[in-house]
Amino acid sequence: MPLTVIDIERRKRWRIGLLYTVLLSLYLFTALALYGLIFLVVLPFRYAGESSGSSPYMPLVVIILGALAIASIHFWISASTVLGSVVRTLKAGKPDREDVVHQRLLNVMQEVRLFTNIQKMECLVIPSLSFNALAATDLKGNAVIAVTEGLISRLSRPQLEAVIAHEVYHVISGDCLETTIATSLFGVYASLMDQLRSWSEDDRETLYQPNFFAFFALLNLSNLLSMFISREREYRADAAAVRMTRNPIALAEALHLISRNWNGGGMISSGLEMLCITSPVDSRDESEGWLADLLSTHPPMEKRIRTILRYAHRTYDDFAAIQDRTDEAAESGMGSGGSYYALDNKRQWQGPFSLVQLAAVPWLTPRTWLSGADGRPAFRAADSEFISGALSLRMGSPSGYMCPNCSQPLQKTEYEGTQVHQCVSCGGTLVDNDKIPRIIARREKICSGRVKALAGAVLRDNQRAMTISKVTGRDIRKKSGNRCQKCGNVMFRTFYSGAYLIEIDRCNICRITWFDIDELEMLQCLIENKITGTLADRAEG
Amino acid sequence: MMIMWIIIVFAASLLLWGIFSYNRLITARNDVRNAWSQIDVQLKRRYDLIPNLVAAVKGYMDHERQILEQVILARSRALTAQRISEKAVTEARLSREIKGLFAAMESYPVFKANQNVLRLQDELVSTENRIAFSRQLYNDLVANYMTLLQVFPDVVIASLFGFTGAEYFSASTTERRPLPAAAIQQ
Repeated sequence: MPLTVIDIERRKRWRIGLLYTVLLSLYLFTALALYGLIFLVVLPFRYAGESSGSSPYMPLVVIILGALAIASIHFWISASTVLGSVVRTLKAGKPDREDVVHQRLLNVMQEVRLFTNIQKMECLVIPSLSFNALAATDLKGNAVIAVTEGLISRLSRPQLEAVIAHEVYHVISGDCLETTIATSLFGVYASLMDQLRSWSEDDRETLYQPNFFAFFALLNLSNLLSMFISREREYRADAAAVRMTRNPIALAEALHLISRNWNGGGMISSGLEMLCITSPVDSRDESEGWLADLLSTHPPMEKRIRTILRYAHRTYDDFAAIQDRTDEAAESGMGSGGSYYALDNKRQWQGPFSLVQLAAVPWLTPRTWLSGADGRPAFRAADSEFISGALSLRMGSPSGYMCPNCSQPLQKTEYEGTQVHQCVSCGGTLVDNDKIPRIIARREKICSGRVKALAGAVLRDNQRAMTISKVTGRDIRKKSGNRCQKCGNVMFRTFYSGAYLIEIDRCNICRITWFDIDELEMLQCLIENKITGTLADRAEG
Repeated sequence: MMIMWIIIVFAASLLLWGIFSYNRLITARNDVRNAWSQIDVQLKRRYDLIPNLVAAVKGYMDHERQILEQVILARSRALTAQRISEKAVTEARLSREIKGLFAAMESYPVFKANQNVLRLQDELVSTENRIAFSRQLYNDLVANYMTLLQVFPDVVIASLFGFTGAEYFSASTTERRPLPAAAIQQ
């Protein structure tokens, strides 16, 4: 990378100086307006009473110095604390070393630190199912790159490297410092605007509030600032990412994936949009033309992908066709070949599984009966070398918790790349609350037909129960009495959420959740396939 | 009188330039040494990870014992190499052997279900990338240092104070930046 540190420093200072000047002139303008007001209104009364001995310029100088001081303090404080406030707004947290996917992110970050020779970069994970990544730096030289859970769960390693390389280029080229400072100075008004909008029910009423005008003016100022922060930097960052990773297709695929999914609008506040890889407010940037170039912060996604594909000498249509085909294949849940069925504890045949999926089935024991779909007689799992090998590899270590149903120790196992505690006899799972969004975001486990049907049935039953209890005022659901394994208090039996009516037991003190057998899979299935139990489903089933 | 002042000023500026030049050379040389120790850190990481991976897969890959033995042999050769050029060759050999092992592991689906093996594999892939990047950085810094040594006015200072050149960490021409295993699957 031919960028030297000295060039970067020089570029940074010029543009930051400009930002500071804008802020200063803002304060100066306000102060002078105030002074003019005072001069016109108050001073005539003073003249009537006494003779003014001091020079009329003295107050002016005081005001200018005051504005300078306030502007400097505002600038310094917001530029030094912006990282903390960004992290807090997004509820971003450090990656979990024991989680396979997070560890991969940490590895990529370490590689990037070696490549750019910058050590003061930290990566954080935003616990949201949206697909976005952002970078922020402050005046002290600390840099933060935050990626959402949804994104790291769905990107392959080359795609993740490309996205991180894009963000890192923003950091080392100084773009990030400009946008972070602009965000911290003026982004607070954007969030206030959001809040104002959400408070007032009637839009017309809002327009006539005087505050609204002031904030509207300031927001447009920040829009003009985003004109100052051009769309060109995104193209440059894409080009730099391709140069760093030598893999244009990976970046194109990552951008394509991001453009097809929820980008965090509504969760990532609109003040932060300048820092992200793509605007959280969907489809606002798709327009072209000089006005759009002026006011929006990101170029249209398709144009970015086309530019990148030009490096790979591919046409956009070929690329899009391949992506759509792979997306379809992933959605329809085609596992990798082979089909086996396994007899579970309730004497039901489960499946079809491929060998790999079979090895990952949690309730599989050496005594489980298996059957291949090709008509061979059933055999025990112990008879298959492959399965018994996989089972012996998989014997987790016992954790300190007991199963509330079976009173047997729970085993520590991996589910969707993260650590959970599972009971080998009843299949129930104990999960920490902050690991649940990760499990929902990841799709390694294929949602089988059995689980889908079960989830639909459970959902309908629970909806019926909810309706009945609402109508009659009586609660016909049974109360639970499971005790929390950590603190011993009784856990609450509730539904996971109003839309996803799967019953779970939750201890809010220890922040853990107990899922009985299949409940976690059903929940994943419901959310991934967006099953909500409408009339149409009922007619089918 | 005038001549004396001119000579004094000239001598002073010569001395100042000499000081700046010497400091630049020292900084460049220390950067090179630091970058070399960075590579060492990553190489050591690889040496430590390989036995873990071999132990984890040994039970399954009985038929492929030859590949495992080659990996272990390449590792011990790389451990004992001393000079930089020798190290470059042995490390490139080890990278090739590891790639061969990953390729052989692709045909054993049992490893895809084992989180321990997957984690070790990702760590090794990450280590290969880190070695590549730290090697790149080292070579860039060596180039910087060599340029400073050989550029005309500074070459005087360099030979005066006995600065010697540094070796590039160059691998054989067939070695490219290793692809992560996931890309091979596509």
